[in-house]
Amino acid sequence: MPTHVETLENGLKVILRPISDTRAVSTWVVYRIGSRNEVPGMTGSTHWVEHMLFKGGGKLGKGDIDKLISRLGGKMNAFTDTDYTMYFETIPASAMDTALMIESERMRNAAFDPKEVEAERTVVISEREGAENQPEFAVEEELWALAFQVHPYHWTPIGYKQDLAVLDREPLYRHYLRHYAPNNASLILVGGFDPAVAMQHVREAFSLLRPEAPPDPLRLAEPDQRGERRSDLVRPGPADLLSIGWHIPAAAHGDTPALILLSTVLGGWRGLLSFAAGDWHPRSNRLYHALVESKLATDAGVRQEMKLDPSLLIVSATLAKGASLDRVEQVIDREVDKLRRTVPVKAELDRAKQQVRSWARYEQDGVTFQGMLLSAGEGLSSWDFGERLLGKVEKVRGEQVREVAKTYLVDEHRSVVRFHAQGGAG
Amino acid sequence: MNLPDRTVLGNGAVLVSASLPSNPFVAFRGSIPAGVAAEGESHGVAEFTSRLLLSGTRHRTAAKLADRLEGIGATLEFHNGDEVLSFSGRSTRDTARETVRILVECLSEPTFPEREIERVRVELLNDLRIEADDTHLRAMRELERFVFPNDHPYGRDPKGGADRVRRIRRRDLVAFHEAHVNPEALILAVTGDVDRRLMEDAIAEPLSRLDTSSEGVPAIPPPRPHKPRRVSIPMPHKSQADIVVGGPAVPRRHDDYYALNLANLLFGRIGLYGRLGRNLRDEQGLAYYAFASLDAKTAGGMWSLAAGVNPANLSKATRSIREELDRLQTDPFHSDEVRDGKDNQVGSLIVSLERNAEVASELHRMEYYGLGMGFLEGYPEIVRGLEEDRVREVAMKYFTAEGSSMVVAGPVGRARLSL
Repeated sequence: MPTHVETLENGLKVILRPISDTRAVSTWVVYRIGSRNEVPGMTGSTHWVEHMLFKGGGKLGKGDIDKLISRLGGKMNAFTDTDYTMYFETIPASAMDTALMIESERMRNAAFDPKEVEAERTVVISEREGAENQPEFAVEEELWALAFQVHPYHWTPIGYKQDLAVLDREPLYRHYLRHYAPNNASLILVGGFDPAVAMQHVREAFSLLRPEAPPDPLRLAEPDQRGERRSDLVRPGPADLLSIGWHIPAAAHGDTPALILLSTVLGGWRGLLSFAAGDWHPRSNRLYHALVESKLATDAGVRQEMKLDPSLLIVSATLAKGASLDRVEQVIDREVDKLRRTVPVKAELDRAKQQVRSWARYEQDGVTFQGMLLSAGEGLSSWDFGERLLGKVEKVRGEQVREVAKTYLVDEHRSVVRFHAQGGAG
Repeated sequence: MNLPDRTVLGNGAVLVSASLPSNPFVAFRGSIPAGVAAEGESHGVAEFTSRLLLSGTRHRTAAKLADRLEGIGATLEFHNGDEVLSFSGRSTRDTARETVRILVECLSEPTFPEREIERVRVELLNDLRIEADDTHLRAMRELERFVFPNDHPYGRDPKGGADRVRRIRRRDLVAFHEAHVNPEALILAVTGDVDRRLMEDAIAEPLSRLDTSSEGVPAIPPPRPHKPRRVSIPMPHKSQADIVVGGPAVPRRHDDYYALNLANLLFGRIGLYGRLGRNLRDEQGLAYYAFASLDAKTAGGMWSLAAGVNPANLSKATRSIREELDRLQTDPFHSDEVRDGKDNQVGSLIVSLERNAEVASELHRMEYYGLGMGFLEGYPEIVRGLEEDRVREVAMKYFTAEGSSMVVAGPVGRARLSL
């Protein structure tokens, strides 16, 4: 698809993807700041800053962002990840300037009114407490904490409650000023516009914003894991859960395409970001056959966490009542061992490639999804990250899938979290 | 979007389609009136049946169905609802014909293998346990039971409960399928990379092979009157309590529907959740989410609000909810609120129909509720024509504390709650 890329003098990278037959435009800004840029004691600060950027500043009073977008019938939101933070508005294309003005003000002029910072403390704690109600959250938090003992992937973007309870305005505001600058961001527009006209509007809204000194590169690297790590959580819950995470390289690494096919063969594919998949779950994969068809689990899947830094490939399962965690772990071990020993047959590899190919289309469903995909790509490396990856996946041979299984799915480099459900409410 | 095409096939199935060429694939959404309302006293069979339609046909096993669908990169899902069995899927233009043929095969020739029945039984029992441990789902399920009493199809758990799940046999599923899953009243909405030729060759042709052998479409009885209740469900191991409040609303074709839909938007949806969100989240920081919903169906409807709060803030939150409900009587929606709401509903037509999945759902809704193919064109006029006082009146009539039930699930005691 035709895509126009230009960088303003202040360092803001602008990516424009015009689509002729739509009347909507989706405007995204992605900042290269995530929970990986936090330090202990300030966990959750990036996410809290994201909340504060809906509360006005500069030309925008409190509640104005809300009102402006609502009147247009638009949708808007923001997401804080470990590696990046992104904001979007999807509105009628005729009102594109409204989104550009909001994002321009948000980039440098957020108010951080002390009263509003304080009011938001309980909101972010409430968001965390809502997540704590789900046993899966406890497993996820435990797994990352177990697998990463040096790198900030140790904590999740929501942060620890004890940090959220004591953080105050000044460090949050400094965090904002340091990282919200045009040279640490990309602006993405997808929808019904003329690129030349859109570029003119972008320049008017953003070219006067001052850049900041580039953020310091993250120097923390996770040392090699020296042996399997395990954690057993014994807590109230409705079903036993199992999660196993193996260290894998950063998303930009040359082994990522082969790992995508490994993930697909093992647990199916739901797209690069899986936002388009909704409730759909794949069934034509080894874990489904080994765990769900056999009634050991009611759900099983694989997540390849694609991140800026070395990350995890996670296998997880929700156990059927009466199934033992030991047995399910043995079955997963057996399936992983098969991947290490045997090259997938051609039909299986072809099917996996077809799934990846199809989901690359399904994730282009509308201007908002396209904007999200391009923004996440920018957050990881470049807007065309997904498209380039697809080209590389097509070229992967079966032997490479076995090689990455042997290299990365190593018992000594894995972390295992077992959730032993006690009682529950049923 | 151009006016959608509508075709009635010889077997009674209705096809609706609209082209959205910039989205490079085909998406569909359809339904058959074989949901909870069709199962009569055999509670749980509609849900059980829906989960088995990908579990094997006369021509293919479950594994072969999955291999073929995923081998061509297509998706196909079946879901049970209060009124209908719904199905949805995605494919490329080239594989649309085969995907629809598989859909037809799953609808018309399922074999309900015993092994898969037992797998689904395990899955349903796990889902019941998981839902019983989820504060929001548990509270909502209880609220629906109060608002639609006496085992009404809208009020009961579609899974039928653990005892029913254990007792359902293959013959129950076969009988339900034979009686209710057929093309009479089938609707299929298709969008994306489609044109008339694709609709005729790849969609209509395989769909027309479905045989009609119907017992007729069952009428859904109107719900019995709701008696407001206040209930707490202690779940001491949770961090957060979920509050839900709600009561009866109107069917989709009721005269009050559009005014009530706008009132619901203003009360708990627009922007950061309307008046409700402004109070609970924005001003007091009590909740990450606090929003209202309106669910209007064929024979009735329900409005509800939900908020997740720390248990220490429970009283403050329920008091604030009460204040906002009472405020609808003493300080009804202002003119600028109504104006903003109307602008939002008209503007959202462009934004909410940008994705294939959203367009297919909307086309399906238009046909299902008999709104007409020109509905989207006429919608702005309907909204603009709503009188402000009418919007205020319906809010006062339906959104009342006295007429509502309240359920709280989470780390709370059994103490009597007040709203």
